[in-house]
Amino acid sequence: MDRNLLTYKGIRKALGLIGALAVLQTACIALAAAGLAEAVSSLFAGQPAKEQWRPALLFLLAFMGRHGCAALSARIAWRFAETTAAALRRAMLERLLRLGSRAAGDLGVGGWVTLALEGTGKFRAYLELILPRMAGMAATPALLLVCVLALDRLSGLILLVTLPILIVFLILIGMTARGQMDRQLATYRRLAGHFVDSLRGLETLFVLGRSRSHRRSIEDVSERYRAATMKTLRVAFLSSLALDFFTMLSVASVAVSLGVRLVNGQMELVTALTVLILAPEYFLPVRQVGADFHATLDGKEAGEAMRAVIETPVPEARLLGAAAERTEAEGAGAEGGAFPPYRDPFAWGPDSRLRLEGVGVRHGDGPASLESVSLELRAGERVGIVGASGAGKSTLLGVLGGFLAPTEGSAVLGGRRWSGLTADGWRSQISYIPQRPHLFGGTLGDNIRLYQPEATDEETAAAARAAGLGPLLRSLPLGLQEPIGEGGRQLSGGQRQRVALARALLGQRPIVLLDEPTAHLDIETEYELKPSMLPLFEGRLVVLATHRLHWMEQMDRIVVLDGGRIVESGTPEELMALRGAYYDLATAGWEETA
Amino acid sequence: MSRPRWITPYLSLYRWRMLLSLLLGTLTVFAAAALMFTSGFLISKSSTPIENILMVYVPIVGVRAFGTSRAVLSYVEKLCSHDTVLRILSSMRVRLYRILAPQAMELAARCRTGDLLGLLAEDIEQLQQVFLRVVFPAAAALALYAAVVAGLGRFDAGFALLAGLYLLLLIAVLPLVSLLRTRRAQRQVKERRARLYRSLTDAVLGLDDWMLSGQQARFLGGYEDDERFVAAADGELRQWARRRQLLGQALVGFAVVAVVAWAGGEAGAGRLEPTLIAAFALAAFPLADAWLPLSEAAERIPAYRRSLERLRGLQQAGMNGEDYSVIQNVTEEMREFEIKKENREGDAVKHARELAAAGAVRNGLTGGVSGGAFGLAGGGGWSGTAAAAERGLGSESFQKADASERRRRDRSFRGTADEGSALHLRRPSAVTVELRDAGYRYGGEAACALKHVDLCLPQGAKIAVLGPSGAGKSTLLKLLFGALRPTAGSARIGSRAAADYGERISELVAVLNQDPHLFDDTIAANIRLGRPEATDAEVARAASLARLDAVMESLPLGLATRVEEAGKRFSGGERQRIALARILLQDAPVVLLDEPAAGLDPRTERELLATIFAALEGRTIVWVTHHLAGVERMDEIVFLDRGEITMRGTHAELLAREERYRRLRELDRGDFRREAAIFKRRD
Repeated sequence: MDRNLLTYKGIRKALGLIGALAVLQTACIALAAAGLAEAVSSLFAGQPAKEQWRPALLFLLAFMGRHGCAALSARIAWRFAETTAAALRRAMLERLLRLGSRAAGDLGVGGWVTLALEGTGKFRAYLELILPRMAGMAATPALLLVCVLALDRLSGLILLVTLPILIVFLILIGMTARGQMDRQLATYRRLAGHFVDSLRGLETLFVLGRSRSHRRSIEDVSERYRAATMKTLRVAFLSSLALDFFTMLSVASVAVSLGVRLVNGQMELVTALTVLILAPEYFLPVRQVGADFHATLDGKEAGEAMRAVIETPVPEARLLGAAAERTEAEGAGAEGGAFPPYRDPFAWGPDSRLRLEGVGVRHGDGPASLESVSLELRAGERVGIVGASGAGKSTLLGVLGGFLAPTEGSAVLGGRRWSGLTADGWRSQISYIPQRPHLFGGTLGDNIRLYQPEATDEETAAAARAAGLGPLLRSLPLGLQEPIGEGGRQLSGGQRQRVALARALLGQRPIVLLDEPTAHLDIETEYELKPSMLPLFEGRLVVLATHRLHWMEQMDRIVVLDGGRIVESGTPEELMALRGAYYDLATAGWEETA
Repeated sequence: MSRPRWITPYLSLYRWRMLLSLLLGTLTVFAAAALMFTSGFLISKSSTPIENILMVYVPIVGVRAFGTSRAVLSYVEKLCSHDTVLRILSSMRVRLYRILAPQAMELAARCRTGDLLGLLAEDIEQLQQVFLRVVFPAAAALALYAAVVAGLGRFDAGFALLAGLYLLLLIAVLPLVSLLRTRRAQRQVKERRARLYRSLTDAVLGLDDWMLSGQQARFLGGYEDDERFVAAADGELRQWARRRQLLGQALVGFAVVAVVAWAGGEAGAGRLEPTLIAAFALAAFPLADAWLPLSEAAERIPAYRRSLERLRGLQQAGMNGEDYSVIQNVTEEMREFEIKKENREGDAVKHARELAAAGAVRNGLTGGVSGGAFGLAGGGGWSGTAAAAERGLGSESFQKADASERRRRDRSFRGTADEGSALHLRRPSAVTVELRDAGYRYGGEAACALKHVDLCLPQGAKIAVLGPSGAGKSTLLKLLFGALRPTAGSARIGSRAAADYGERISELVAVLNQDPHLFDDTIAANIRLGRPEATDAEVARAASLARLDAVMESLPLGLATRVEEAGKRFSGGERQRIALARILLQDAPVVLLDEPAAGLDPRTERELLATIFAALEGRTIVWVTHHLAGVERMDEIVFLDRGEITMRGTHAELLAREERYRRLRELDRGDFRREAAIFKRRD
């Protein structure tokens, strides 16, 4: 039972209606049984068929009423499930869009999309099933039992005794099957994944000259997979075997006991028939629950996963108090200058400073990806961040970009001390150029206008030209209206960077963060791209993380990270003179290590 | 050409198992019906004046027997049908693999392989559901239908005929109507869902951009509109499903009334035992339960058809050798599939670049620098070895191979490790790799991906190939590996055309690419793929040559560690080293390196390249790279642009001769004192 179930909006109404329908449905079942039994026993007694229209009509109406109730209750359940699941999905997406990729945990793109689309579907199916099933379980067996007891006490007792036995067996076998599944899950998964793994590695197999001989291994593994699956299924199907077995045994016992008492003349045929028709109906809700068990389990888990996302707190920067430097406090943002004035406490003006103090980021129990980083950044300054992979460059950019809340330390800005920079006001001043900018499925123009949806075509085209997209723009038949990204024209790595650059130029935001902007480009493309990028650095706070040291020439200051800590910082000349970590990075030609 | 069949061959291949499943399925329903039938008969009979209980002994036993056997039959039937289906799945997999394996490189060149292949694998799993959900139930339902009509025929031929016609409504007309009615809505839902997948993936990939833009609401609004549309179409399908069910039940209700009326009439006329009225009435319900799901099964057919068509298209494409449009047309579903899988953003980007490149190749430059002039490495005495290699390839014996070359290679191995466990070289071979005025044009494209390329690489020569995306680098590698046959000029390994070797080219040419696939197996098994007959010592030796020692020591199971478990722990550099060990075992004289160090940080890159070149000493190396780190160690550096060689020479020559090369090199080294002259600071 899902305790969250009752917290959904409209659940009481839906459940009430479905419950009422279940009662009505049970009444129909009883009436249909009575009608059919009446008709059959009258015919059996030798009455003419024509006179039986009354019970026949009763049966027919009740029978249709029963299925009508089922359809109606399915409709109500679907409506409720649809609205509830859609609301949950919407809330989850809203939260996801506020959490951002880093705060939202590492589900991966596939994971998120699957959760939002398939997860919602599973959750909806769960709600859709569980409501009628719950109502059915609650109403039908009890009411039918009362009917049967009223008609024939002994049959009622047989049914009453069998149900708990059936449920106990169901649970026991279910647990055994689950235990067995869990035990061989790893093997099972490996066998199941082998084929896809082989296909994905087909090119590798081919270049190794192994693609022909690998066929045997596919045969072998498929065979082992079959054996393993069958072993599991033999246990898993036992639960439905038990359900069927006890149901049938119970119905058979009822039939035989009725027969015995009929022989002894203790009972009317019509009563016996009614009881016999009702007996399988009594077990039906339990059997349905058993059959749908796995579907509901999946959906319940999906719902929980979605709720967990919704309950993830959005890491909003908290005000920790006033900071020491009152001199540049307040007013700093209002001076405006080249950038529009902001009233936001995170406003960044031409004289603003940002100071990180002892900032650290640590996920769970793992090692910190950033540790006691203290760093001051001034408006218009250009800062390069270098270090090996895993040194914390991206994490630092995440903190500076307001994507990631520090777990330790604080940020001082505009005379106030904050827990971090995760605030819309801060983020709205940032242009971010990652290693592989994402292009949205849409027109080239819309992609450039991302930060500035109201920009005119002229402004957009100007930004595109400034970013070196002029030749591309001229070659596109639709110009700015050309669809790019998924489903549109594919752009090369260099062109993608230029789109991101145009975005940043058009957005005119005072802070630019770059994360390995040219790492994956070939040297010639990089060479051509660099001059187009330099104007973006003018008059903005630039923080650029890269392995490509040629960028350092354009930097005022370099921060060298190692193991999440700042190990050196200074101008390129200072660091070269220092002969430390930066010197090593800059001078180590690969010949030396060869 | 007849259409490749994916369902019928398995029907006949596994006909006995299928018949058994069918028989068991039919018997299950039969037992359920018989239980109700005998029960009805039992109590009717009991209510007639009979002397004692023994008169109804047989029906009592029948009731119990049918009751228990139904449960057991159903259990056995489920196991049997699942077993059959898993056997079918197994042979379908082998078949799909046989179709795909020879096309590996073409597929890689033309589509986003991983995703497509995953999709095909899923298709096959879909097809097994056809058997479980459509074929078996439908067959059992039909068998029951025949049995019931025949059974009724024994009592009353006229009524049997009527019942036969009436039941057709339930088992044929309703499913057919259902299929036609829902086809359009199903397609709509499918298409719209693909759109949802696309826009959501887009949004999640660009999550940070949405955050920065502060326009999350704009996205959500558009997305929820699409969702509502799908929900509406979905709701329509649901509504139909509910109505269909109600309609089916109405048919059943009338059938029961008709049976009762008929049985009553017959009994009244004395043609039927009155005890059978209840029996017939009660038996109708379990039978209906077997027939009702047919309509739902029919609605599933369109979904299976799509899988079926894709598999057929794939096979036909394979036969024709050229036309992969069928495969490429599945992008909608591929998208859906691909995002179900892990985030393969990197691949997508690579693919995008590849596509863009293909479009960008134009007939621009003419002439091109004629190649073939080789400055370094080996020089004169290579022709003999090449000839020897050609003779020896078939028999794997290379008696006449150049002895000095063998010594040289042995030396190079000993150079980095102890001699006791020296890797045994299978075939000390030496081949010359030669491209003569080679060109390639992909079918259906106007521009050549590669043209007028001349290369002559004696054994042990090392060249670096550079160029922007779309310059023809991967096409060049494919020509050298024989995966593509040049459309102009020739590509030869030894004395034969590269494309003539087929799969045996792997004995001469090894490939280490940017993202080598590590199979979900142990590290040792992954390395051993290079040469399955290699001993443990040889595997360990190869691992050590690839400088994996330190990593392996840090793992409790060492080489026996499974790649999947350690997947998170392995960095890009380590994965490349495992792949390197693999090709060291493969021990081919020619190695193609396709940006093996892309995406690694400079230090890791430097170390990896150092290991690669030390371990591959003596091999001919064609190294595609995206920047200049390490190119000075190469015998020749070749720049490609738009399919043509634009600049080539040794490092020294290029430095001396080419201004452009000097600038690129300065940029690459980050040597800002000299670079300052190029990018003047503007402050």
